[in-house]
Amino acid sequence: MSEFLAGGLVNGVAVGSIYALIALGFALLYKSTKILNLAHGELVLFGGYLAIALSRALPFPAAVFLTLVAAGLLGFAIERAVMRPLFGQSLLSVIIVTLALGYIVRGVMVGMWGGDTRQFIGVVPTGVATVAGIPIQRVGLYSAGTALFLLAAFGLFFRYSLIGIAMRAAANEQLTASALGVSLRRVFAYAWAFAAMAAAVGGILLGLWLGVNFALGFVGLKALAAVILGGLDSIPGAILGGVLIGVLETTIGGYVDAHVIYGFKDILAFVVILLVLIVRPYGLFGTEHVERL
Amino acid sequence: MALRPAGDYKVDYGADMALLDTAFYRRGFLLLLLALAAAPLWTGRFIFLLTTIGIFAIGATGLTILTGFTGQISLGHAAFMAIGAYGSALLTGRFGLPFPVALPLAGLIAFAFGAVVALPSLRIKGLYLAIATLAFQFLTEYGIIHAVGEGLGAISVRAPRIGPWTLRGEVQTYYLVLVIWLLAGTFAANLARTRVGLALMAVRDRDYAAQVMGINLLAYKTLAFGLAAGYAGVAGSLWAHYNRLISPEHFTIVTSIDYVAMVVMGGLGSIWGPHLGAAFVTALSQGLKIVTPAVVTVLPGFATAATPLREIAFGAILIALLIWEPGGLAQLARKLKRRLDLWPFSY
Repeated sequence: MSEFLAGGLVNGVAVGSIYALIALGFALLYKSTKILNLAHGELVLFGGYLAIALSRALPFPAAVFLTLVAAGLLGFAIERAVMRPLFGQSLLSVIIVTLALGYIVRGVMVGMWGGDTRQFIGVVPTGVATVAGIPIQRVGLYSAGTALFLLAAFGLFFRYSLIGIAMRAAANEQLTASALGVSLRRVFAYAWAFAAMAAAVGGILLGLWLGVNFALGFVGLKALAAVILGGLDSIPGAILGGVLIGVLETTIGGYVDAHVIYGFKDILAFVVILLVLIVRPYGLFGTEHVERL
Repeated sequence: MALRPAGDYKVDYGADMALLDTAFYRRGFLLLLLALAAAPLWTGRFIFLLTTIGIFAIGATGLTILTGFTGQISLGHAAFMAIGAYGSALLTGRFGLPFPVALPLAGLIAFAFGAVVALPSLRIKGLYLAIATLAFQFLTEYGIIHAVGEGLGAISVRAPRIGPWTLRGEVQTYYLVLVIWLLAGTFAANLARTRVGLALMAVRDRDYAAQVMGINLLAYKTLAFGLAAGYAGVAGSLWAHYNRLISPEHFTIVTSIDYVAMVVMGGLGSIWGPHLGAAFVTALSQGLKIVTPAVVTVLPGFATAATPLREIAFGAILIALLIWEPGGLAQLARKLKRRLDLWPFSY
């Protein structure tokens, strides 16, 4: 039993750190634009597919770099072409538009790369390593490291850089920030670019681990559970939420899957969403919103 | 044709509240009814399109009550449709109930589920509610697959029997759907101008302000969710008996998204919105399905690109319409009529 728990914990952290990276993109975007991007899963796949296609022709670091650049540009393009004309529209319209965006991105990807699973070929050592006697996927280590690095990098960025401070100001109160000279357009554009890049990082790690295919668009929804758990507008919350979801999945989900009812692991994230929303809707670290008339 | 006297000549309350308040609308609606009643004559083998539009329009009307009039977002509408479909299949199959009893019962079962789902809506709203309903959508799919067991949840359904008649074939099902479609649409249109409808709109505009004015939020939010689910349940029951084979694949998140697309594209808060939206979305997705094979026969190389192009076109048209006319098709029709009123003069 304790072996099952320890193994579950370590592997849960490994899987969870990938969720965390994807969740980071949700939180980044929601924090500064108040938009929940339901096309995030598609952006993750886009990063994975593009990096795999590029790594066939280029060395791995160059492929990763180009993928991040492309993802950033895609983010800018989405903001400019689609989200800016819809500024100030109702929540429902924005949700629908992100879903429609997902259709378009997925359609383009199916058209370009077909529907089968694709994988990186021998770019970095994968397989199984042992940490303190527990076998663990090596990709898990990479993603845990990347998650920690990005957490620190975005923490510093929001704390010290000018655009980061502008983004926090816009997150706090859009109109006031705008009146004080913060360009909301630029803030939104950067937010979309960063979110798309975070999604691409998640997609690359996912590609290293399982390969990418279209069933994995689902992973975006698990990351949604992570941000809800951590608090929609909190970046540390997204990371911690991702890891927690990963651990819950491999321990509780794994146990129930094996002993009680089949397939519970895939649905656990949604049970968590419902529980969190009923008990503590703003999540672990989210800003509590008090409504006044 | 669209002439209306300058000034407002309505002299009694009834005339002011009429759903079809001018001769133009009354004649137009009569023409529409005639065209729908005679549809098998002019649609030929495309009658299935109208049946599908009718079924989805019933479901979308429910979502309009919930989203357009009460302001609660639901991304789990297809789950209620699934509950209605499976409920109806069970009632007619295992319990041997006649179809005319099973149809409203399926609606009632979905109503009960909707009332339960409404409970979190008292605590969470907006985006959070959308996510909660999304979770409900996936949990329902999972629940149905596991409850049915074999065959990934697919079951077969009996043909609808009304009294001594068994409805078989496209045309008979179409008339069944048409009657229920009209009833459902009329009920929703009337609901919008009653005390209940006004209370729902007050909840939409500001729920706490409505509560201060004495509107019971628990009761009205539960009622709105229940009604929406009930409509979806009836639509699901019709869908089940029309298709004769149902599986959770018919009621996935994609269908829920289609529903939201229908009410948003049709026009939120308009009684015509869901019907226009259902017609548009169904015609668009089915139309693309019909057009693409035709293109493939001309350009064989197009075959691999056909499926992704359909998705891209659907997404692009959705986005374009929302940017161009956020009020949806109902608003577009209103603008067109206003222009025709004064044609050929600009004012």
